[in-house]
Amino acid sequence: MTKMRSNRLKIVFMLCLAFVTTGGQHFESKVAQLLQDETEHIKCFVEGKDLTCFWEEEEERNHIHDQYTFTYSYEKKNKMACAVSSLYLLASNKTILFCKLPKTPFFTTLDVQVLRDGRMLYTRSLNAENVLFLDPPRNLTVMSSGKEGQLNVSWLPPLLKYMDDSMIYEVRYAVDGSNMGKVEVIKVSTRLVLLGLQSNTRYKVWVRVKPDGVAYKGYWSAWTEPVFGVTPPSDVDPLIVLLVIFIGLILCLLSLTVILSHHKFLLKKLWPDIPTPEHKFPGLFTVYKGDFKEWMSHNNGSMWGRSVPVYTEELPSPLEVLSEVSLTSHGTSQREERKPVEEDEEKESERSDSGLTDRWRDPPHAHWLMEQLRALQENPESRSQSSLLQSHDTYVTLNQGDNEQQVDDVFEETLPLQTLFTTAGTSSLGTSHSDLGSLQQSSGSGRLSSQSSFEYPNHTWPPKGPGYAYMAVADSGVSMDYSPMSSSRISCTGPIW
Amino acid sequence: MQTFTGLVSVLLVFLWLGGNLVSPLRPICDLRVLDHFVREARDSEVIMRGCRGGCGAMKSYFVPLTSVDFAVLEHMDVNGQAVEVQTGLSLLDQALNNAMKTVSNSPLANALDNNISNIHSLGQILHSLDLQARSTVLPDDSAPASTQTQEVSSLPELLQVQSSFLRGKVRLLLSAAPACQRQNS
Repeated sequence: MTKMRSNRLKIVFMLCLAFVTTGGQHFESKVAQLLQDETEHIKCFVEGKDLTCFWEEEEERNHIHDQYTFTYSYEKKNKMACAVSSLYLLASNKTILFCKLPKTPFFTTLDVQVLRDGRMLYTRSLNAENVLFLDPPRNLTVMSSGKEGQLNVSWLPPLLKYMDDSMIYEVRYAVDGSNMGKVEVIKVSTRLVLLGLQSNTRYKVWVRVKPDGVAYKGYWSAWTEPVFGVTPPSDVDPLIVLLVIFIGLILCLLSLTVILSHHKFLLKKLWPDIPTPEHKFPGLFTVYKGDFKEWMSHNNGSMWGRSVPVYTEELPSPLEVLSEVSLTSHGTSQREERKPVEEDEEKESERSDSGLTDRWRDPPHAHWLMEQLRALQENPESRSQSSLLQSHDTYVTLNQGDNEQQVDDVFEETLPLQTLFTTAGTSSLGTSHSDLGSLQQSSGSGRLSSQSSFEYPNHTWPPKGPGYAYMAVADSGVSMDYSPMSSSRISCTGPIW
Repeated sequence: MQTFTGLVSVLLVFLWLGGNLVSPLRPICDLRVLDHFVREARDSEVIMRGCRGGCGAMKSYFVPLTSVDFAVLEHMDVNGQAVEVQTGLSLLDQALNNAMKTVSNSPLANALDNNISNIHSLGQILHSLDLQARSTVLPDDSAPASTQTQEVSSLPELLQVQSSFLRGKVRLLLSAAPACQRQNS
């Protein structure tokens, strides 16, 4: 029995001690804080419903309680005394003297005084409802709300009647380990949702309380002990990820299809071919390996039609040198010449269009002529005849114009020839006509009109057999007039001299 | 005769209905209204402190006691509190009106006028909470009026009393009003 009783007493004593110490801890911390913040000599605060006033003891003085007297009065009543106690603060190494009013009147002006040895030391007038120093909020909890970047914070107000609706809270939160914190102020309500937080991060949260300042005023309470909370990880909906991938694949396939179906067009646009004239010259590069002469020779009829083919510069114009001396001395050679010429003329009569072409094509004529020239130079006797050569000045002009007109011009020019070679016979003239006529080009493009001026020596031509019309070309100076031709005509023109 | 009695009965019915049709006001339980009045009372104190000239003559005013003892308050019934508040409000109204007669400073006069209208509004609020004292007779007739009142000698003191009274007794009464308790629970 006695043992049980003693045990119970011990338990009660321990509980009381625990209660006192916790209260004392709060009390001491409050005192310590006010000691720094409050400027008044008499520092007062209300804890619960009791007003506590304290002051700092001067260090020089001895620690004697009864020297100090604390009195208070309100509403012009008589002064009342309050018991003075002392407290030693370990943290700041200071001693304070304090008094707790037994019955604290609120909403009235309190006049407090501290007397030392009967003499007034400090005095102060205050209202008790203006110096509330609340305890920190209780039961702080931080929970994940389930939504990204959010945390639910809730707490309970300090145990105080009549003041629940007059409180204002301050919530401080920071990433665990970081010193940078944010503060949110909330009135009356004891719940808060923190927004805009980082996902999957550990946060520290603190709360403190203060009267709102309308009916009650006071100091900020101490911060609660930090409570940790972890934000939920960023929720990326797997369905959305799948949809995004699927749409991406579809777009890729579509683009590939488009590219493949129009790849030629795209290639042409991006990498255009260098234009080649191959299509205009069929077989030139493939069959004849770029040999234009060969190609020309094979493609004459088809490509150029009746136009005069293009000759290279190397092909000289046929030059026929005529001299009496040479005729007699080289009679045989003349005959040889005549023969092929006759043949040519006959051919020309048949092929009126391409008369000159045959002539110009025969290089043996050129060689023979050159030989004749050399012979002339060696034999000065025949120079009189060769003066024919010197005096002659033949030029060929290319004109665009009326074919018939040109023919007329040609015929007019051939008149002297006609008069000269009347004895030669009409056949020769005819042939000459045809020869000259063959100068025309049936294509109608650039025509050769030969304007030849002849200066004949005094002696006449000795007629030799059938009349041969020779065009003495002494000077290779050929002037040509070109009228502007279109590009299509250029392809059809014959030799340009 | 029968028609006369019929008419009388109809009239009685109407009178009875008329009496009951005056339904009680909806209770004003939001303390933010009172907080607004408290702020305006504090504004008057600030204007008073800054007043230079025409700020009222030195005069004594009878004002209510404002001190609140929570321990005592817990044991006090609501009706008793209501009576205390009602008498105090009427005293304040009287004192403020007297003070206004001596004030020529226009901002101060306007502030005082504002306070007077607020006190009237508080009476309406108490009426809505069904806390208006049905009789002005104090519960304890033997107690002298001085126990319920105090005397102040200047307008600043009067304004301070007004502020303390509103923040203390009036507020505690409104927060403890049964009509509001029923709403909250």
